[in-house]
Amino acid sequence: MIGRRLSLAVLISLVLGFLPAPAATVARQKDDETAPATPIEHFIVLMQENHSFDNYFGTYPGADGFPEGACVPVDPDDPSNTDCIEPFHLEGGQSADLDHTRETHELQYNHGKMDGFVAALNARNQDGRLAMGYYDDRELAYYWNVADEYVLFDKFFTSAHGGSVENHMYWIAGQPGNPDGRIPEQGYGNSVLTIFDRLEEAGISWKFYIQNYDSDLTFRTVANAKSNRAAQVIWCPLLNFPRFIDDPKLFQHIVPLDEYYDDLDNGTLPAVSFMVPSGASEHPPGSIFAGQRFVQTLIHELMRSSAWDSSAFMWTYDDWGGWYDHVPPPPVDEFGYGFRAPALLVSPYAKRGHVDSTVLDFTSFLKFIEENWGLPPLSTRDAAANNFLSAFDFDQEPREAAFLSWDRQAVVRPEPNRLVLYVTYSSVMVVSLFLIGIAIPRSLTRSGRRRNALGGREE
Amino acid sequence: MAKEQAVNLASTTSVGAAHALPAQRRIAWLDAIQASLSPWQLVATAMFVGAMLRIWRLDELGYNSDEAVYAGQAAAFVNDANISPYFPLVRAHPMLFQFTLAMTFHYGVTDIVGRLVSVLFGVATLLLVFLVGRTLYDAWTGAVATLLLALMPYHVVVSRQVLLDGPMTFFATLTLLLIAKYAATHSSRWLWAAAAGMGMTFLAKETGIVLVASVYAFLALCMSIPIRLRDVIISSFILATVVISFPVSLLLAGGGASEKAQGYLVWQLLRKPNHIWSFYPSTVPIAMGVLVVAAAVTGLWFLRRQHSWRENLLLAWIAVPVIFFQLWPVKGFQYLLPTAPCVVLLASRALRHWSLPAYPSGWRQVVSRVFPAITVTVLALSLAAPAWSRVETVPSDRLLAGSGGMPGGRESGDWIRQYVPEGAVFLCIGPSMANVVQFYGHRKAYGLSVSPNPLTRNPSYDPILNADRSIRTGEVQYLVYDVYSASRSAHFGDRILDFAERYHGTIVHVAYVTITDENGARQRTPVIIIFEVRP
Repeated sequence: MIGRRLSLAVLISLVLGFLPAPAATVARQKDDETAPATPIEHFIVLMQENHSFDNYFGTYPGADGFPEGACVPVDPDDPSNTDCIEPFHLEGGQSADLDHTRETHELQYNHGKMDGFVAALNARNQDGRLAMGYYDDRELAYYWNVADEYVLFDKFFTSAHGGSVENHMYWIAGQPGNPDGRIPEQGYGNSVLTIFDRLEEAGISWKFYIQNYDSDLTFRTVANAKSNRAAQVIWCPLLNFPRFIDDPKLFQHIVPLDEYYDDLDNGTLPAVSFMVPSGASEHPPGSIFAGQRFVQTLIHELMRSSAWDSSAFMWTYDDWGGWYDHVPPPPVDEFGYGFRAPALLVSPYAKRGHVDSTVLDFTSFLKFIEENWGLPPLSTRDAAANNFLSAFDFDQEPREAAFLSWDRQAVVRPEPNRLVLYVTYSSVMVVSLFLIGIAIPRSLTRSGRRRNALGGREE
Repeated sequence: MAKEQAVNLASTTSVGAAHALPAQRRIAWLDAIQASLSPWQLVATAMFVGAMLRIWRLDELGYNSDEAVYAGQAAAFVNDANISPYFPLVRAHPMLFQFTLAMTFHYGVTDIVGRLVSVLFGVATLLLVFLVGRTLYDAWTGAVATLLLALMPYHVVVSRQVLLDGPMTFFATLTLLLIAKYAATHSSRWLWAAAAGMGMTFLAKETGIVLVASVYAFLALCMSIPIRLRDVIISSFILATVVISFPVSLLLAGGGASEKAQGYLVWQLLRKPNHIWSFYPSTVPIAMGVLVVAAAVTGLWFLRRQHSWRENLLLAWIAVPVIFFQLWPVKGFQYLLPTAPCVVLLASRALRHWSLPAYPSGWRQVVSRVFPAITVTVLALSLAAPAWSRVETVPSDRLLAGSGGMPGGRESGDWIRQYVPEGAVFLCIGPSMANVVQFYGHRKAYGLSVSPNPLTRNPSYDPILNADRSIRTGEVQYLVYDVYSASRSAHFGDRILDFAERYHGTIVHVAYVTITDENGARQRTPVIIIFEVRP
């Protein structure tokens, strides 16, 4: 009966879609694609929100974290005021949203002295001490475990010393888009090329996945959106390009995040995937635990898909979020670089537990895509950017997928002393068998006597 | 003592005399056959057949939950890197068998080796039954009993598995032999040796200690068997020393072993009934062979005039465990296995006494002389047929704990090990399937039915406090639905399917068995389904 019930369950499962679509029916998209230069056939990059490198990995061993004696003055313009704030641990995984405008960046940078982090926020009527808060593996156990197993970049700078709009534009176009850091009222014109234009032209598959995607929400309708939904057009800059919105062929590439899971199941993950979050962005005051779970799910699903063996998954943060970072960003042009952001790579070809110190920024993603698929650069920025190939070891066999836990240290269970158990059981067996053994000769003697008494007959 | 020996010898010779025929009318060919037979030949044949039955397709099915646990413990003993993280070294039971098993696992954990160790204990028990029979009655009684036990489905099935009950039965039968030797000879050394044997019975499985009450009952019933206070003290000391080595070793081993064992003990004592009262009456006689049990019982009745300390010993060895486990709320199919040797001995005794009137000549003489062989053959065949069907591994979508391997379990575990990323976490209906997933799959698995209340759950199982949340947060990535657990707990089975539907469940693996339905049609039936889930 149970068997029949289960047969029915399997049938229902098929109907409900528990079973993946048969591979044979899935159109393979990559037949006509340009072959990549590396074993990476699927590149996925996720842009999270608002944390500096030191805020997440300032105490990570082996990385360029907090310098010894780090203490940021409360008022850098007053030499007589010696008060300073040392980095301190933030508990709970949530904090206030610190100001992270272009102006704040400038004040915190303070002409390269990197001593305005506290004062800048104080000037914004916020508690400037918060800028010196940091998280460690107590809150970021999963990310730290990823860093232990894969690659952490400790010279990864945000592209612009501003907020989300410019940095997201650098991420897809290698330029700020609009020098004033705002989305133009008419959207970005055709003169602003994106990496997706290049991919489309070359016939290389791509998608832009958006968590909780609202396809009606673009730069044209954002004024009517509720404030917490408006971020969609900032985090997915393609929704500010009339040509991407109005051309159904291009617009169909902008999809809900659920399609990422379907694509993994169906073996239709495109060559290049950009993705942005919604509620799990880690943007303060959002929970960084929710962000980690979100990233963990994306990685897990990739790991158990057929795409894993030829994939690279990276994620970073669109700006520093107002948090302290001690490394002065190298000036590359009038817009950048901005302060460092955390960035990590997970791939079967990633080096194990490697801290990569190549100077990178968001245009390095473009650089990798361009070099991997033979595309021309979009701007001087991406043309000059460093690639992160040093984080890979393509000579190694693809690493087996492994889900990482949220435990920072291996759980050490107190173990009984095996030797004691060995000795005890061995001794008891020997003694018992000895006691049984000594009875046997006596028995043989007795039975021998008895056989004699019976005239040699056995019983 | 001399009187008892005399009785023994008299009964032996009278049995032989019952089959004696007048010399002048003997049938030559029958005489020749009879003369060429010896009990040892039957014992050797029985042991060979018994060994074959126990080895036949031994590795056809993977371990069931209990086997996985004991093999996992043995693997933990040798610190196997793949398995020991999931199986604690110390559980409720003493570890004599696991210790023995661990000796073989030094060269790698393999199913077949683990089961062969069990088979070895099982086959050795056959020899012990012969020795007990020879000691109590005569060599032919022992040999026939050996044959019956060799073919008995109950013993065959249990001694093919990595369970504690097979080794415990071996040590219990060894103790029975030593007690019989003491009763027959009154030599103190046999009693001391019996105490050591009883201690090892306990170390094989703690429930073996109930047989101490059997010994007490036997000695109390048979006042004719003298027992000196000095022997009682020495035997008790030996027994206590062997038994106490279990808690003392845990205490000395540290690592919380003692506390864990105490926790298990408390849990075992407080467990709720898992079967109704009629469980043993409805399963064990069938597994032992109805004709064998009937032969034993009728023999006791019809031979009541010859009732002696021998039958008292066997009856005490049967009655105490039966009464104890019938009253004990937790019941297990294999728990009464130590009584099986006594049942076959009583049945064999009955067969030795069943005979037709002796005829001086003709076919009637032939019939009367081969009648004992016919009755033995009938009983043997009545056991061999079901035993053979059991070892022929008829797949089923039902599973009774202790009655065999788990169809599809090992294959599913192998699939998990091969295709599921390391570090993945599974949620099963109950801990039985979770044990199999952990043993073969080398992945953490929870049982949904494991109670979060520490007072009502097996201390070795980690409960999942909020399964829904664990899936939503990505801590659990796979669900396992198996028909065996679902048939016992439809509620938790349905919850697993609900979770699969709610969390984008995708079937990634199905294990099938081909079963024969009520109409005789063969059907390929799914027994284990693994779902991939995500928030």
